[in-house]
Amino acid sequence: MSMAANAYTLQIRDWSFRITPLRIMLFALTLGFGLLAVYRLIVGLGATTNMNDRWAWAYWLILDYVFIALAGAGYSMALMSHVLHVQDVHRVSRRGLLISLLFYVYALVILGLEVGRWDNWYRPLFYWGYHSPLFEVYIAIIFYFGIQLIEFSEVATEKVFKPANRYVQMLLPAAFVLGAIIPFGHQGALGAIFLAMPNKLHPLWYSSMIPWFYVLTSFYAGLSLLILEMFWSNRLYASGIDMPALHKLLRVGACLMAAYFVWKIIDLYRLDALGYAFAGGFESALFLLELGGGVLLPALIGFSRWGKTGTGLVTFAALATMGLILNRANVLYTGFYRTLGPGYTPSWIEWGVSIGLFAAIILAYLFIVENFNIFKAAKH
Amino acid sequence: MEDDPKKKTDVPVSRRGFLKLAAGAGIAGGASSLSGCLVNEQKVGDSGWLPQQYRVPGNWPVQVRGRIPIDPANPAITRDDAKCVLCGQCQEVCEKIQTVHGHYELPVKDDFICIHCGQCSLWCPTAAITETFSIAKVDAALADPGKIVIVQTAPATRVALGEEFGMPVGSWVQGQQISALRKLGFARVFDTNFSADLTIVEEATELVARITGKGGKHPLPQLTSCCPGWVKFVEYFYPDLIPNLSTAKSPQQMMGALIKTYYAKTGNIDPEKIFSVSVMPCTGKKFEIDRPEYHAAARYWNRPHLRDMDAVLTTRELASMIKRANLNFPELPEGSYDPLLGASSGAGLIFGNSGGVMEAAVRSAYFYLTGNKAPPEAFEFKKVRGLEGVKEASLSIPGVGPLHVAVIHGLKNARVVMDKVRAGNSRYHFIEVMSCPGGCVSGGGQPRSSTPPGDEMRRMRTAAIYQRDAGQNLRESYKNPEIKQLYANFLGEPCGELAHKLLHTDYVSRADRLQPKKPQKT
Amino acid sequence: MTKSVLLDLTQCIGCGACTVACKLWNQLEFADGAPATGEKAVKDHSNWTTVTFRKVQKDGAPVWRFVKEQCLHCLEPACVSVCFAKALQISKEGAVVYRPDLCVGCRYCMLGCPFSVPKYEWQRSLPNVSKCQMCAGKIAQGEVPACVGACPTGAMTFGERDDNLALARQRIEQGNGRYINHIYGEKEAGGTRWLYLSDVDFSKLGMVTNVPEVPIASFTDDYLRWTVPLLAGGALLFTALRHYTKRRNDIESSQASQKESKKK
Repeated sequence: MSMAANAYTLQIRDWSFRITPLRIMLFALTLGFGLLAVYRLIVGLGATTNMNDRWAWAYWLILDYVFIALAGAGYSMALMSHVLHVQDVHRVSRRGLLISLLFYVYALVILGLEVGRWDNWYRPLFYWGYHSPLFEVYIAIIFYFGIQLIEFSEVATEKVFKPANRYVQMLLPAAFVLGAIIPFGHQGALGAIFLAMPNKLHPLWYSSMIPWFYVLTSFYAGLSLLILEMFWSNRLYASGIDMPALHKLLRVGACLMAAYFVWKIIDLYRLDALGYAFAGGFESALFLLELGGGVLLPALIGFSRWGKTGTGLVTFAALATMGLILNRANVLYTGFYRTLGPGYTPSWIEWGVSIGLFAAIILAYLFIVENFNIFKAAKH
Repeated sequence: MEDDPKKKTDVPVSRRGFLKLAAGAGIAGGASSLSGCLVNEQKVGDSGWLPQQYRVPGNWPVQVRGRIPIDPANPAITRDDAKCVLCGQCQEVCEKIQTVHGHYELPVKDDFICIHCGQCSLWCPTAAITETFSIAKVDAALADPGKIVIVQTAPATRVALGEEFGMPVGSWVQGQQISALRKLGFARVFDTNFSADLTIVEEATELVARITGKGGKHPLPQLTSCCPGWVKFVEYFYPDLIPNLSTAKSPQQMMGALIKTYYAKTGNIDPEKIFSVSVMPCTGKKFEIDRPEYHAAARYWNRPHLRDMDAVLTTRELASMIKRANLNFPELPEGSYDPLLGASSGAGLIFGNSGGVMEAAVRSAYFYLTGNKAPPEAFEFKKVRGLEGVKEASLSIPGVGPLHVAVIHGLKNARVVMDKVRAGNSRYHFIEVMSCPGGCVSGGGQPRSSTPPGDEMRRMRTAAIYQRDAGQNLRESYKNPEIKQLYANFLGEPCGELAHKLLHTDYVSRADRLQPKKPQKT
Repeated sequence: MTKSVLLDLTQCIGCGACTVACKLWNQLEFADGAPATGEKAVKDHSNWTTVTFRKVQKDGAPVWRFVKEQCLHCLEPACVSVCFAKALQISKEGAVVYRPDLCVGCRYCMLGCPFSVPKYEWQRSLPNVSKCQMCAGKIAQGEVPACVGACPTGAMTFGERDDNLALARQRIEQGNGRYINHIYGEKEAGGTRWLYLSDVDFSKLGMVTNVPEVPIASFTDDYLRWTVPLLAGGALLFTALRHYTKRRNDIESSQASQKESKKK
């Protein structure tokens, strides 16, 4: 399973990390990210991004929305594996927790660069703007990030600080329950943020139901990403494809997507906004692509026999993931285009930061799976 | 180091204790300030936490009184917001002296009501209001080898330009001005005094026609029309008196028309190559050259895009061009005007003063009506001189009877007389009106003096002009040899067909652009 | 008591004195590329109030109108409700003011404001939100806001909101069709402290007219009031489910192993 002929492995005591040309490139990108991030913190947003008074939320915020939604694997795994004890699923739950943790790290770092007064980040801990959905997001994510660290420390203490493992185990039941419920709060509140913009967001996306849609979509998006991760890690490490577990994820995901699809249609009908979907224009086109290609099609694949094959699973998961990305981008960009007008494309620094940080996340993932026990089923 | 136990006991606070104290205080202080506990002792709305600008007056001026509106597209004046201190001086002059601002009903229609007199730019203490600059346009023409840049200088600039270079108020700098213009690269320097003489010839002829009952639809009293601010004021507020306005163009426009016709023809110059500039004490002249009526040369040559005048520089703009060129202005040799359109009489010169047009016109009209030289009182017409707002005079003309005239400066004064004319209660035959207090000598384009501009300055500039007139041999417009030459070789007779085509104009009612305020009874 | 300004747009002559007064009082910079008045007036971090010059049609004839815009100081401001750091608060007199020391810079207020009033200091490395503060310090001392005091035509009336509403209605009634029958700000976004009178439809003047008549906060509050009970209930339910499903699985697996052992 050697990836490249000229690869060699960095080995320090019982820590190892394989070095390949690709990974060196990832390191370079990570370094680039670091430089750009420092530059952004010194000179400010105006000089580094193309954000402006109209497009005050832009590419980086879309990334936050996308990564937090895709990190849904964390709470879907906690719920399915540790609360509902769905059989087979517990074997992949550690993968879900890891992706989730890394994606939250990604989102939080981007968020730190995206807000203007990052130096005041702790102020809301003392000044509770509890009328704001964002306050719920803020508090819930801080809590949940701590819980994720506890969940991951179960894995970590198997290798380092081994005596602590006993205490971590004591915390775990509460962590799993809270880790399954809290994300409902912030995933929903992330959608609720848009409730405050009734005269700005396009009616195809504005709905009083948007918090629930956000919960639902992040739940299945997390499952889809987990499927992709399993196939990808199998290619890298031949870690094996756990078909029974994946079929469970597929069935749950497809059911949720079908439910979302129906609910969304009913909701549009309720709001008398269904006409916008066929009104032409790029909003309609992107909406149809999102709901047709990113929800309906993968749902149908999920229910079909082909969907249970390897290719089918990957197609399902890829379409669902793309559908989610498109949804979040549609809400934040397409949906506001009518109100905010043209005039925003991400700057190269915005792109560079997003790509460089993703390289860092991939490196972190590789290091963790090569040094910790992630692929093995959690014991329960 | 030696260890001295005694010293240790002398120290009241041990190092460890001090560090503990400092660190403790630091942590406590840091924690409380980080949490915001130290900054939010007071409730919202109190002054404690408010940003600094809410606790101190900042840049707030002592007195804030507002300002006049200025159209961003105003051809004559412009304003730099960064310099404005809202002192209200512009409002003061526009509303109280010129009676424009605040004298129309709100809401506005589709115009920023402005007569372009530029008095606000003189009154503005911070020079936030200035003329709309034309220097760049003139520079471009001067740099263009394909252009012949011709300049004319108004009567009043030669008694004011020197002030910009530290010379006493009222210094006579006609010669230095001509030399400076030549050094700046202007190809010909002509004198607007010449065309002022021409204006007098035309306007006096017109007055004679009206007095002798040949005025047609143009009634008495005849109103002067050489002040663009006054003309626009009539068009806005007294459109029914437009027929009373003299149809003679202002001296600037007469000169502009002649340069591109008579001079071009005589000198065999392509009128397209001529770039015609004037140096004026006035901002309104910048508006005047853009009036659509002024394209006599275009009609004469049948080239529709030709404009009679191409750019106007105020006295202040010329001063800044001279300063930029590093010319030692007071020491410049005294130049003289170019021939053909450069000779002038004392009558043309006194155009720069309030009452000057009247005095000059009377000198010629008397001659036209009687065939004799005007009496000596018409050569120091004291009743129309000075800074009184409305000056009246009568001159008995043999065979005609008394000629009643009025001289007005400042448009508030004009309203008083015009309301009488409108009501039919006026006995005047001829009324001179200048927008700016004191006439052109303290026009909106003249060098800034004290704020608000004072009568002392006006008197000194006025006196300088009258002094020169008194010292001149040639003091009647009709005697100007180059005027005679012009009529003989080109125009034919005063108010003749070609003269009418080139030297006369008509006016447009602007009554639909505003709703005048009804006069308030006091 | 809540202070208010009634702005009669028919009385505005477009001089822009209010914009200068605003900058002088608040020490805002004058930028060349961002005029505060004129057809291309830009609202930004240093233009808290702008006077936009609009050429519109009225009764078939062209008229020019000048629209002074600034923060409307809503009765229940969206910015205050969406700010998760309490960086936007309402002063005792009713001015919606900003506290830079609490702001995290999320810019939710900029998006959440139905009138898109808050702007951002993009060029600073630690930028603040900026918007009209209704001269909170001045009105706390009983003075009028800087812009109101600088208006040469008295187009703005500062006073209690109820008084201003009554005055506005009186002007509409006594104006004999001079004004359109719409007091902008009476109902917009649940009511604002700045009230506008006009003789031309507000949508023609470029003002935001698609604002709901209820406070923006009501949209989010409808959702947020459920979250704490739902999350608490969810936590209890999940705890119960965790024990129930575990036990069920244990029983199932023990039954299965019993069956297997029986088969053996």
